[in-house]
Amino acid sequence: MSLSRAEQARYQRHLSLQEIGVAGQEKLKAAHVLVVGAGGLGSPATLYLAAAGVGTLGVVDCDRVEVSNLQRQILFDSASVSRPKAEAARARLAALNPEIHVVAHAVELRAANVREIVRAYDVVLDGTDRLTTRYLVNDACVLERKPLVAAAIHRFEGQAMTYVPGRGPCYRCLFADAIEGMVPNCAEAGVLGVLPGVMGAIQATEAIKLITGVGTPLIGRLLAYDALDMRTDEFSFQRRTDCAVCGDRPTITELRDAAPACMSAEEIRHLSPAGLRELLGNPARDSLLIVDVREPHEFAFGHLPGSLNIPVGQIEHRLQEIPSALARTGALTPVFLCRSGARSMAACAIAARGGIRSIAHLDGGLLAWQAECDETFEVA
Amino acid sequence: MSEQPLSDVKCTVRVASPLRSYTGGASTVDADGATLSDVLADLDRRFPGIRFRMIDEQDRIRRHIRLFVNTREANALSEPVAVSDTVHLICALSGG
Repeated sequence: MSLSRAEQARYQRHLSLQEIGVAGQEKLKAAHVLVVGAGGLGSPATLYLAAAGVGTLGVVDCDRVEVSNLQRQILFDSASVSRPKAEAARARLAALNPEIHVVAHAVELRAANVREIVRAYDVVLDGTDRLTTRYLVNDACVLERKPLVAAAIHRFEGQAMTYVPGRGPCYRCLFADAIEGMVPNCAEAGVLGVLPGVMGAIQATEAIKLITGVGTPLIGRLLAYDALDMRTDEFSFQRRTDCAVCGDRPTITELRDAAPACMSAEEIRHLSPAGLRELLGNPARDSLLIVDVREPHEFAFGHLPGSLNIPVGQIEHRLQEIPSALARTGALTPVFLCRSGARSMAACAIAARGGIRSIAHLDGGLLAWQAECDETFEVA
Repeated sequence: MSEQPLSDVKCTVRVASPLRSYTGGASTVDADGATLSDVLADLDRRFPGIRFRMIDEQDRIRRHIRLFVNTREANALSEPVAVSDTVHLICALSGG
């Protein structure tokens, strides 16, 4: 795939690099790269890959731009708020480099579509903020034999690793599994805006190296970056022969969507904000113990009266506090809630596993409570 | 000069970001112990609850946690730890 005169002018600094040159730039032009998540990581990754001249760039995201994204998601500007991210990303990247083809996938990745989407690309970058999607993408890349550059962030810390089929371990070899709720996300814990800039740029670098065949990728190496201490650490890890997807006897041979939580629908009573308000106003019908599983700083910012605060990461350890509080208050039903409902669902599953019965859950969390029942209620 | 007893060995521990709420925000702490098991027990004495975030009721390393001694993978709590070692507590991150 030869370069036009306009492309030769645009990519002059790459062409000057002996390691890339015309041959490397032509490989970039011929390459198809998929970026999962147009968020903090996906923003710098897609911008740099577009600028670098990756010929076909796919962007997967089914969310819309929110104003709180703009602190770190540099693909977007204030005028993008409320627009679908995949579309806003496509427009921005096309404006940056009209020589490339940008494909917007405004869909949620599921077991039913992920393999087909991944199949059309040469390299996949994972910048999702959902654990279930993170594992889905890893498993799809293993099954489709596609290289994957994964990164993740939390507060001031970032991680990156590269998987190349047949050459090293996959993400599951590193972290076999993770339960949503045991691993906090950025919405809960916060994140330094520039942190994904560093990690997303590392992902783009790895993708360019894989495509052009230069350098040493992060295969079998976990790169950990601590922005507060300004230090990087590197850890070697091996392919696990018992890995569920890339091991010697894989148990994941076709993809399934993860269950939202490890309990059946019959075991949990789902309350809408209006349903919760009604029960709170009528204790004779059912007396409730509100278990707020957010972090202490979120709880301190504002909570429903009488709530018991046990952060989701501590639920398993402090489970006995729930029956004690039920006995003390005379309540019958613990109602788990958090900011938006994800952590509290994980808490419900842990509590059910720990033998707590008659569990209820506030669907949509305190954000839904604020929207439907109490506009003056402040949610951190 | 007498050799330092193994049980008094102090190593350096690097704490993953999601576990720093237990260490008062500290990214690096010291700990005593000749094995990973000892080191985690010492950490738990000083930072109650931190061990349970990494190790389950059956004394297995949780599946979203990895422990490294220096750059070496540690898959068992019996892994030896020496005075000059750095133990890294690594946690899967979900943010993007």
